[in-house]
Amino acid sequence: MSDPGIDETLRTMLPRLRRFALWLARDSSAADDLVQSTIERALTKWHTRRDDLSLRAWLFSILYRLFLDGKRRAGRYARLLGSLSHEEASWPSAERVATAHSTLAAFAGLPVEQRSLLIWITVEGMSYQEVADILQVPIGTVMSRLSRARRTLRRLGEGEVRPPSLRLLK
Amino acid sequence: MNTTPPSEHDIHAYVDGHLDGPRRGEVERYLARHPDEADEVQGWRQDAQQLRAMLAGDLTDMPASLDPAGIRARARHRHAVRWATAASLLLCLIVGGLGGWAARGMGTGNAPMADAMQAYRLLALDHGVGMDITTGNEGDLRAWLSGRVGSNVRLPDLADAGFRPMGGRLFATDQGPAAMVLYDDGNGHMVSFYVRPPGPARHLLPRGSREDSGLLANYWSDGGHNYAVVAMADQAGRLAAERVVGRSI
Repeated sequence: MSDPGIDETLRTMLPRLRRFALWLARDSSAADDLVQSTIERALTKWHTRRDDLSLRAWLFSILYRLFLDGKRRAGRYARLLGSLSHEEASWPSAERVATAHSTLAAFAGLPVEQRSLLIWITVEGMSYQEVADILQVPIGTVMSRLSRARRTLRRLGEGEVRPPSLRLLK
Repeated sequence: MNTTPPSEHDIHAYVDGHLDGPRRGEVERYLARHPDEADEVQGWRQDAQQLRAMLAGDLTDMPASLDPAGIRARARHRHAVRWATAASLLLCLIVGGLGGWAARGMGTGNAPMADAMQAYRLLALDHGVGMDITTGNEGDLRAWLSGRVGSNVRLPDLADAGFRPMGGRLFATDQGPAAMVLYDDGNGHMVSFYVRPPGPARHLLPRGSREDSGLLANYWSDGGHNYAVVAMADQAGRLAAERVVGRSI
């Protein structure tokens, strides 16, 4: 594929990547950095991409791994500083979460992997196989994790359990 | 009638609309008979619909900085800068290496008459112990010198500068015999007058001086010989050396 062709293909995926990044990082500038790093990596690794992995699964998995690496690094850094406070203390669109539908608030409170699963499967409409490829687990594992994610979302959405990060919101 | 519950996979596929035909019918029939599970699955479908609807709004406002063509261009530029930096570093290494190679041996070449200083160290610091000829007579010294180093060697007369010869000693060099004559001013100041054949490739010296480990050497070439005057690199030594050099050139 020629360079402009690759650019065009990536361009069509950009909005979806950015939405995913927004819901992972929950900070718009961090999300933009994440998308930019993803595109950079995709451009340099374009010709080493495995054919059995769909392009969107490939891009989502790059972004997901970049995010997890960054989070791990930030976690190490926080431990290094002896900080006891946990991650995810700030959520810039706080008002949005607080005022929006309870489902959205519940969704924002899900663990990263459950949030990712629901975006990939429910919102992006990806196949279970694609998600299994991204997470590098068997399809059965994807199914049981998906059940857990859907139950947790239901429970949180109905107000049974308030996740700690949401209680921090003013 | 089949009462086996559908698999987890089929339930999710039903929620996500991936299930068609007979298997979809199976799930629907099962749920019709199991209201609790039907409620849960219905809840999941609702959640999914709401998520899709609410997250659809996040697909707008794409910052221009994220355009792949721009990112590609910036990465290429960074790459170019990195290459340029690497190339200039490499160039520095090459120039430095070549320069170093070209300058090899210059250090030793830049230490002319090191043997004269060595000779001074050997004798003057012990105040003339171990000399081959010990005499204050300049005529004898001149004869001694011309017989061994060369008949055209001019021994400086430093009597009115306060320096009297003490004696001399021969040294062997790769180019032939060298001789040193020591002068003493009676106040503990010693100056050496050193003469030897030129170095390799008839290497004659431009006039110059240098200091090394507390010794001062003035050197020059004249009449096919290299000369050096060595003294301590202190105030008195400098003054004495100046006088000797002034007299001998």
